[in-house]
Amino acid sequence: MLAVLPQLIVSGIATGMLYALIALSVTVGYRATTVVNFGHGDLVMAGAYATFVFVGSGLPFAPALILALASLFLFGVLTQRVFMQPIINGPHLSLAMMALAIGYAVRGGARLEWGSEVVILGRPYDQGAFMVGSVVLTMDDLVISGFVVALLLTLAIVFHITPIGRLIQAVFQSQRGAALVGLNVHAFHGMMWGAGAALGAAGGVLLGLLVPLSPDLGVYTLIRGFAAMTLGGFGSPFGAVVGGIVLGMMEKLLGFYVSTVFIDITAYLVTILVLLIRPSGLFGQRATVRI
Amino acid sequence: MADAPKSAAPATKAPPAWRQRRYLFWLIPLLLLPLPFYLGQYKQYVVNLILVYVPVGVGFNIVVGNLGLLAFSNVAFFGIGAYTSGVLALKLGWPWWATILPAGLMGGLVGCIAGVPALRGVRLFYLAIMTLAFGELLRWVYIRWVPVTGGSFGMSVPKASINVFGWPLPTEGDKFYAFLFLAVLMVVLTDRLLRSRFGRAFMAIKGNEQAAAAMGIPTDRYILLAFAWGGFVVGVGGSMYAALVGHVTPIAFDLAELILEFAVVMVGGLGSLVGSVLGAAIITAAPEFFREWPGFQEMLFGVLIVLVILFLPRGVASLLARVHPIFIDRYYRD
Repeated sequence: MLAVLPQLIVSGIATGMLYALIALSVTVGYRATTVVNFGHGDLVMAGAYATFVFVGSGLPFAPALILALASLFLFGVLTQRVFMQPIINGPHLSLAMMALAIGYAVRGGARLEWGSEVVILGRPYDQGAFMVGSVVLTMDDLVISGFVVALLLTLAIVFHITPIGRLIQAVFQSQRGAALVGLNVHAFHGMMWGAGAALGAAGGVLLGLLVPLSPDLGVYTLIRGFAAMTLGGFGSPFGAVVGGIVLGMMEKLLGFYVSTVFIDITAYLVTILVLLIRPSGLFGQRATVRI
Repeated sequence: MADAPKSAAPATKAPPAWRQRRYLFWLIPLLLLPLPFYLGQYKQYVVNLILVYVPVGVGFNIVVGNLGLLAFSNVAFFGIGAYTSGVLALKLGWPWWATILPAGLMGGLVGCIAGVPALRGVRLFYLAIMTLAFGELLRWVYIRWVPVTGGSFGMSVPKASINVFGWPLPTEGDKFYAFLFLAVLMVVLTDRLLRSRFGRAFMAIKGNEQAAAAMGIPTDRYILLAFAWGGFVVGVGGSMYAALVGHVTPIAFDLAELILEFAVVMVGGLGSLVGSVLGAAIITAAPEFFREWPGFQEMLFGVLIVLVILFLPRGVASLLARVHPIFIDRYYRD
């Protein structure tokens, strides 16, 4: 039983990287606007389909990927400015429903166009596997982990070394204060919402390498992304990444050593238990109000 | 307007006449009574489906509208109601009418469970994500607990069990009367609840929870009660759904169903009893018209919710409230 442990951890990390990316993409939008994008899963799905469309139009994979991320970035900026910004001071329910409804409309569009056919994105590399000791490493694991790590490093540099990081922190702490010192908070909201959408789209493309595309691709990924965010601590980018990787490993370990049912329900249980027992997660701030 | 002396009556007289004329609302079910004589089986089925969604919308609106909590667990109450009726009818051979109350009680129990995180101080997006996970967990139970629920294929509710005190309901028209009675009962009971001190407490909690607690309102108890009553009403709706469709499957209680129920509440009008009923009438019929293009229905709901949030935040009910003050909700403040 213990002999498979390294294998489980390795494939758990590879899956967890995907969750980490989705969780991080939601966190980016949340930290900028303090709104959780409940329609984010559909942007994840849209990213995969957009890449499929650009590849289908004859482009090589890499430019198609970049074009898809750019279009999702634009879509994110536009929807934030046109639909979210007018109600940004309204009740939370309206904000949550607005994001959900936009995502739902996107999903409907995808279903209308591709709902009845099987769409496969296809890998732009050869599917292979290597043996490292007793552990099998697939090419998919390597590509996904490598891509996510590269993306995380870029983000870490952007957030910690360039002034953008301080900008984000300023707006997250006090929007009014940030506006007072001359930051264009509205434009910033739009840009970060777009950045979240583009990151999510990248997650969708990686997911599309593994499974056939469907309009419902993003929804259940998003629930896992939420679980990762909750586990790591809401609003903490570092927590989102760690939470994603831990969640990925937990699914594999519990699924193998306890019961296969845990592959399906670990995310739900983690969400519920963490919020009940330690709402701030591993690295987050307080999540509850005490009356 | 000098030649209109009738309208010059003193405006300060309380209570205004329209408040006493609320019994006029009873005309709506009365006028609906002869409907089965005019409609075919299919159209009657759509009307029955609307009646199913009346309690679903009413129960959802209590938690989301009147209490203002971001809870995504309504589908869980709906599903548990339908499954309770289904299991009692199929496995234990109960007649349908006897399963309505247990279905409602199970809905209320699940409502209490879903309300527990709210008591622990979980709010806003945290509560939304948590209740979402709870609903999905319950749906997973329906899929996996095959001996009881029939797994992903679901279970059929025996036709013979669909009766009221032994009186069978073979056609859609017969079901209509049972459903109309239940829907009206749920609306009237909820109306009573919202007009009592409970409704006023909900209003206070929605307005400012800390202030309500400081005023001495036991907010915990009222939040739990709102979840329990909302769950009960939606559970009864689930029982009606089981009788109407005759087949209970896990797929009927997925996230798409959640958005349908949100659309009922948002388009009808948040925190409005009239709105819940209107929303059920407007939204529920839509999927029946767009069966051939499933994606189109999702797009339509998405766009509809976006438009309502942007331009009509209090839903269609607020349009009616402009026409006549009888439609104004006294137990809801923005």
